[in-house]
Amino acid sequence: MYQLTGVTRLYAKGGQTVPAVRDINLTISGGEWLAVQGRTGHGKSTLLNLLGGLDRPTSGTIEFAGKDLALLREAQVTRLRAESIGFIFQTFNLVPTLSAAENAEAALIPLGIGAASRRRRVDAALDSVGLADRARHLPGEMSGGQQQRAAIARALVKEPKVLLADEPTGNLDEDTRDEIINVLEKLWRERGLTLILVTHDTAIARRAQRVGVMSNGRLSIRQDIGSVPPAIP
Amino acid sequence: MFFITYLRRELRRRIRQAVFIALGLALGIGLVVTVTAASAGVKKAQSDVLSSLYGVGTDVTVTGKPPRPPSPGKAPARGATSFQLGPGGAKLCQNGKCRNAAGQKIDHLVSDSYRPISQSEVAAVTKLNGVKAAAGGLTLTDTAISIPKHFGQPGSPLPTPNSVNVDGADTSHLSLGPLSAGTITSGRSLRSSDAHANAAVVDSGYAHSNKLKVGSTVHIVKHSFTVVGIVAQPQGGSPPDVYIPLARAQAIGTAAGKSLKNHVNTIYVTATSAASIPAVQAEIEKLLPGDTVTTASSLASQVTGSLSSTAKLANDLGRWLSILVLIAAFAVASLLTMAAVARRVREFGTLKALGWRSRRIIAQVMGESVVVGIIGGAAGVGLGFAGAAIITATAPKLSATIASSTGQRFVSAGAGGGRGFSPTATHTVAVPMLASVTAGAVVAAVVLAVAGGLLAGSFGSWRIARLRPADALARVA
Repeated sequence: MYQLTGVTRLYAKGGQTVPAVRDINLTISGGEWLAVQGRTGHGKSTLLNLLGGLDRPTSGTIEFAGKDLALLREAQVTRLRAESIGFIFQTFNLVPTLSAAENAEAALIPLGIGAASRRRRVDAALDSVGLADRARHLPGEMSGGQQQRAAIARALVKEPKVLLADEPTGNLDEDTRDEIINVLEKLWRERGLTLILVTHDTAIARRAQRVGVMSNGRLSIRQDIGSVPPAIP
Repeated sequence: MFFITYLRRELRRRIRQAVFIALGLALGIGLVVTVTAASAGVKKAQSDVLSSLYGVGTDVTVTGKPPRPPSPGKAPARGATSFQLGPGGAKLCQNGKCRNAAGQKIDHLVSDSYRPISQSEVAAVTKLNGVKAAAGGLTLTDTAISIPKHFGQPGSPLPTPNSVNVDGADTSHLSLGPLSAGTITSGRSLRSSDAHANAAVVDSGYAHSNKLKVGSTVHIVKHSFTVVGIVAQPQGGSPPDVYIPLARAQAIGTAAGKSLKNHVNTIYVTATSAASIPAVQAEIEKLLPGDTVTTASSLASQVTGSLSSTAKLANDLGRWLSILVLIAAFAVASLLTMAAVARRVREFGTLKALGWRSRRIIAQVMGESVVVGIIGGAAGVGLGFAGAAIITATAPKLSATIASSTGQRFVSAGAGGGRGFSPTATHTVAVPMLASVTAGAVVAAVVLAVAGGLLAGSFGSWRIARLRPADALARVA
């Protein structure tokens, strides 16, 4: 699914060049679950942004399904995100004025899908995360766990190939955290998604097929595919 | 539709800000509409004043040049009657012969404002290129003064002149001239068969104050005219008191002691088109050098008084005030929209992550701004109507003044010889201020509202277009 070769991302900060990501070489297979750990400010989110086409590398190549994201025009990357990549954020990032269903529907707008078809897909997505009864609720009317479920529904409604989750349980209590991870794992298994999940939580990272650790912008893989079979507790 | 739902919800969330922006735009647009309405009202008042003076459909007016004031010490023109005050008492003098004025009644129907123009010039004007029709007229004043018997002696009362403005109307061209602007309220207008008859149409105001009605008699220099009709002129005008057939006015009127037979002192001209008016004016000026050729627009510039001041106020101060308020409203709307976009960076970053293109997000923001603009525009039109209504209800009547030389001569004889002066008459009328909102003003308001919305939205859009999703998300991560 992904082939990263010599990926480096530099930022200019206070007149100095700061490397956020350095010389990363990585292959991520389709249907793989990769967890990325690391301390704050060591490049986890930058790596996720690069994988999602939200940012471009200073050097190196990021091939996604055979296309180099660094060479695509902005409109092409945007289209790729709309069709193939789902995002889940730590702070949910739901549009506060839209209901759970409308937030999910927002992900289908760029695809030009008809209203009736959008409604069907939104209903199915909310149902798959157990939020069918909250479809008309605004984010402010839902708990943190419910909001993250709505965000997951929004990420999955377009049936992406890749799901990029940036600390999806970072703002949740332990029970809700387990609930959300269970939902993600279930969907990953059922849909054959490529799941790349950034987390501080080692317990969650252990449930992934591979764990990568970011340190000073460099990535080291600690666990190989299949060494720890994923399981739902 | 998702676009509408999102737009509606977003406006509802920012209702206070939306209302604030809309009110700002409404204030600016309301001011523009009010000023435009006031300006339109002033223009209409000017038009009413001018049409009451020279009639509807008159494009160019020619008047004989004003008579020069007599030089000090110079004898009055031959045939003219002068009134002299001296040590021997009051005297009436004509052709150098004087008689005691005490107990006398002087009554003259004279062209004291304009020198006569030969009637043949009317035909010459009619033949000019670009002239559709031309008619001659006589603007005369019937002045009657009764001199008290003991005038000049201590305790003697002053003579009181009684003036009646008489208009000699060409009965074969009644569609031109002052009578054309009026409405017959009783009886009938003059007609061709009245050309040599002692028939008169009197102004409704004059008829009211003198208790005249159809069938009554009015006296003009010892001639009795039968009132055949009462005419009401447009409000704001200062019409002649009595209209009589031109031929009769020529027969009984004088100018500088001479008969006005075959003479007029005013020519009313209609051009074939508005575009040809300047050319017609130039042609007439060439044909009749020395006479005064006036178009409606040049006459408007001679109008003074509060009407003129109000026109200047509406056109200058009102316009600039409106522009300033609009600029302020647009600036506030733009700043608030930019601030709103800054607060929604996270939201727009997320939408970009979901695959929304910048232009779709921009369309959403522009849509919100334009809707606020349209609401502001609608409120502005409402404010404009209210402002126009308040102006109409509370504004005092405006006065319009047109100065003209009267040509009347007053001569006083003293030790140093005769002294004369020719006062300037001011024709002043009261005009109601009727501010009315025009369809054009409403269209302009809508255009301004949409423009204001687009301007405010475009500032926000500029920010969105430059927004990198990774930066937007990093800011909230």
